[in-house]
Amino acid sequence: MKRKSIFGLVVIAVAIAVIISTYASSSTYSSFSEAKETNSELHIIGHLDKKKELYYDATKDANYFSFFMTDNKGQECKVVFSGTKPEDFERSQQIVLTGRMLNNEFHASKILMKCPSKYTQDKLETTEVSAKKADI
Amino acid sequence: MTTDFKGEHLLPGQIGQIFVVLSFGSALLSFLSYYYATTAKDGKNDSWQFLGRIGFFLNSVSVLGIGTCLFYILYQHYFEYHYAWAYTQRSLPVYYLVSGFWNGQEGGFLLWTFWQAVLGNILIWRARSWERPVMTVISLSQVVLATMVLGIDVINVRLGSSPFLLLREAMDLRESAPIFRTNPEMYHNYLSYITDGQGMNPSLQNYWMVIHPPTLFLGLAAVVVPFAYAVAGLWQKKYSEWIKPAIPYTLFAAMVLGTGIIMGSFWAYESLNFGGFWAWDPIENASVFPWLTLVAALHVMIVFKNTGHSYAIAVFLALVSFVLVWYSSFLARSGVLGDTSVHAFTDLGMFWQLVIGILIFLGLAIYMVVSRWKELPRSQKDEDTYSREFWMFVGSVFLALSCLQLIVVTSIPVWNATFGTKIAPPNNEVALYNVFQAAFAILVTLLAGFTQFLKYKKTDPSKILPKVIAYLVLAALIGALIVYVTGVYHLKVVFSLLMIGSVYSVLANGKILVEAFKGKFKLAGSAIAHIGFGLLMVGALISAGTSKVVSENNSGQQFTTEVTKETNPRENILVYRNEPVKMGNYIVNYIGDSISAPNHFYKVLYQELDSSGMITNQFLLKPKVQVNKGAGGFTASPDTRHYLFHDLYTHITMTNSLSVNENVDGSDAHGQEDDDKNYDPPIPHQVSVGDTIRFREGYIVFKGLSNETSVSNLQLGKNDAAIGASLDVASHGKNFQLKPLYIIKNNSVFGIAKKVDEAGLKVTLTRILPSIRKAEIMVYQQPVGKKKFIVMRAIDFPFINFFWAGTIIMVIGFLLSIFRRNKELKAS
Repeated sequence: MKRKSIFGLVVIAVAIAVIISTYASSSTYSSFSEAKETNSELHIIGHLDKKKELYYDATKDANYFSFFMTDNKGQECKVVFSGTKPEDFERSQQIVLTGRMLNNEFHASKILMKCPSKYTQDKLETTEVSAKKADI
Repeated sequence: MTTDFKGEHLLPGQIGQIFVVLSFGSALLSFLSYYYATTAKDGKNDSWQFLGRIGFFLNSVSVLGIGTCLFYILYQHYFEYHYAWAYTQRSLPVYYLVSGFWNGQEGGFLLWTFWQAVLGNILIWRARSWERPVMTVISLSQVVLATMVLGIDVINVRLGSSPFLLLREAMDLRESAPIFRTNPEMYHNYLSYITDGQGMNPSLQNYWMVIHPPTLFLGLAAVVVPFAYAVAGLWQKKYSEWIKPAIPYTLFAAMVLGTGIIMGSFWAYESLNFGGFWAWDPIENASVFPWLTLVAALHVMIVFKNTGHSYAIAVFLALVSFVLVWYSSFLARSGVLGDTSVHAFTDLGMFWQLVIGILIFLGLAIYMVVSRWKELPRSQKDEDTYSREFWMFVGSVFLALSCLQLIVVTSIPVWNATFGTKIAPPNNEVALYNVFQAAFAILVTLLAGFTQFLKYKKTDPSKILPKVIAYLVLAALIGALIVYVTGVYHLKVVFSLLMIGSVYSVLANGKILVEAFKGKFKLAGSAIAHIGFGLLMVGALISAGTSKVVSENNSGQQFTTEVTKETNPRENILVYRNEPVKMGNYIVNYIGDSISAPNHFYKVLYQELDSSGMITNQFLLKPKVQVNKGAGGFTASPDTRHYLFHDLYTHITMTNSLSVNENVDGSDAHGQEDDDKNYDPPIPHQVSVGDTIRFREGYIVFKGLSNETSVSNLQLGKNDAAIGASLDVASHGKNFQLKPLYIIKNNSVFGIAKKVDEAGLKVTLTRILPSIRKAEIMVYQQPVGKKKFIVMRAIDFPFINFFWAGTIIMVIGFLLSIFRRNKELKAS
């Protein structure tokens, strides 16, 4: 049984290593004010400030998109993403950003947005209903 | 209540709902009867078994009935049913109605229960003495699945979600459209206002979505068979006998599940825009959990069959695979992944029902193992170090550990929900998965090669070591060469090591294959499967590791900061229509559009250049964009140029040449008066015959004036006149003839403009100056911002065909193994 016991220990060691590495590499959901104090990458949840300008002009730079986001603590910050503007961005309800703060701008390396998907949300489009009203 | 509404077709739904209830009842009957058939001590086992079969057949018929009713509803476009309204629309062709069938979660459960019914019937036909206990477990699983689509309230708790739910039951129409609240007559007539369904997500309108889900669900459903055999073996205390008949089914499940997963990967690669075939998305990971444990289970089951070793782990892995099927179903359907997955999932309010689903099978598995723990067969003696069984065991354990790593990381939202923590997933999740999974894969591939040299029981090390080392050296040389040529060495060293491991696996199994062709044909299956797996790894490593963004673009005018360059390569390139752009070794040009709703194809011409700048090859790619109906926005799908040794992948990330109405009427409608607003302020040119006018996109030659006698749509009277100016327009190598008109009619003067959309040009004839023999041509040009453009991303995937070919080879290997194990079963 000796060799199998040694192998069992190896397995346990690997399992522990997996769990520790997951924990060590995991990130935290944070806020813009915390992002200003650190240089490491963070996740920030918030929502788009729809009153401020979304800037994307492919003719000037196809890889520059900026917008303003309010995090869950209510703080607002300019966000810069080097890529195109994700489709339907204006309609997003919630945004999860991954990135870091640089000169008071948050540079996002990843944007994950939650949209009220047309294909999953149970909502009758009232426009459709009212448009047909004239037929009566 | 039912007569309250006009125009509803309630019959198919009612029949369907009867089948739903019947499928539950018959599954329960089958489960109980098979249970008594297995346990009864009064000698009536045969009649119980008969009843069990009746129950199961009834269940199969009901499942077919549910499917027929649901498809009928979809086919007839009965939008009074929520399912039809939510997932289909009138314009969908029939084959996409089929995929509409499994668009919703209820359809997924139906598919699962359908395949399980099919497998159950096969087992009734073939399982012989195993039928009673095995079918007890299978019909229990049918019972649990039936509750998922039941849609019945039991003591204020909605049990399952029925596909036959009516739209007005699924949501309060009066809430969504307040007009119904104030006007009962209209509410009574609500169906006449619902003219079409929500429609199917354009990215699902793809033929892979017709075949990928059924394949995947057959694979997932088939995992129940080894589980059922394992439970039956423990329950009936036939500890070792269950393994042999379960092996072919385990092979089958692993083969089909693997095929289903890779089909999904191929669908993502061909029609989604994340730019790759694998993204470590939680849903992808979840589908791999049971595959990894099942393949591990398969290997230790074979070990036990041949040597009597590794029993406990074989039982554990066979049982845990099916529990993981339920766990991955829970991850996909409960909405728990909310913040971490790009897939959009609706929570049907079945969170706890799914948890209970997992617990039922987990509980059954634990109970069986614990209650029989002391009686489980144990090998008296440890395996020999130089024995095949020991290293197969080690390999299986590492497969299971790689599954553990996937589970631990993917389940972070579950840990958060369970322990109330707020851990975010790792920032570079993909890198973490890649490194860990590659490390496990190194061991697995090396062992898949090494064990081929070993024999069961005991091998003489002095005999095999020279061969083992010779092959290892050869694999290291070939692997190093591949790593050097493809550039994999730029990556972390673990990927280079994995390349060597994969090559080793291919070589060692290639040797076995050669022997198989020399006569030991039964060895061919496993050898081919391992070769396929090795090639799959080689392909995945090279194509994912060295894929290169071709459209890298640092031409941004004002915003290029060094920081963004480092952290995020600028992967998108802007291409104006008819303005070729150099991109890597290519010249790309956006040369036109073709529209067939809901698809808008962009014709992108690629010209490949050699080192001296000569065009060696040219081809057209048509990436497409699908306009989402109503709400706007679009979904882009790539187009890929396939070569034997690499693929060039292109997709649109942004465009200004798309109108929201496109999906509705197929063209954009502009008011004539507003048209001038689309152009820069016009420039007048006074020209004589033969003069040339230059504009941004080319030049115009004035050929002369002519009297026109007829003008379309216009009646010209005696005192009226129409004068045309013949213009030759040359733009980007194309020539156009235009004839703008100057018309005098009823004492008023007006012009008819002519356009060349491709050149962004509009011209009018505004004045005729006979005294100086000149005409005045007004030239309108579209501003640069109005000029049509696309922003696209192009990626080169080298050697991706190894990945697909490896998969196919692996499946062939599995198939051969199924034949072999079946033959063995018959022989015994």
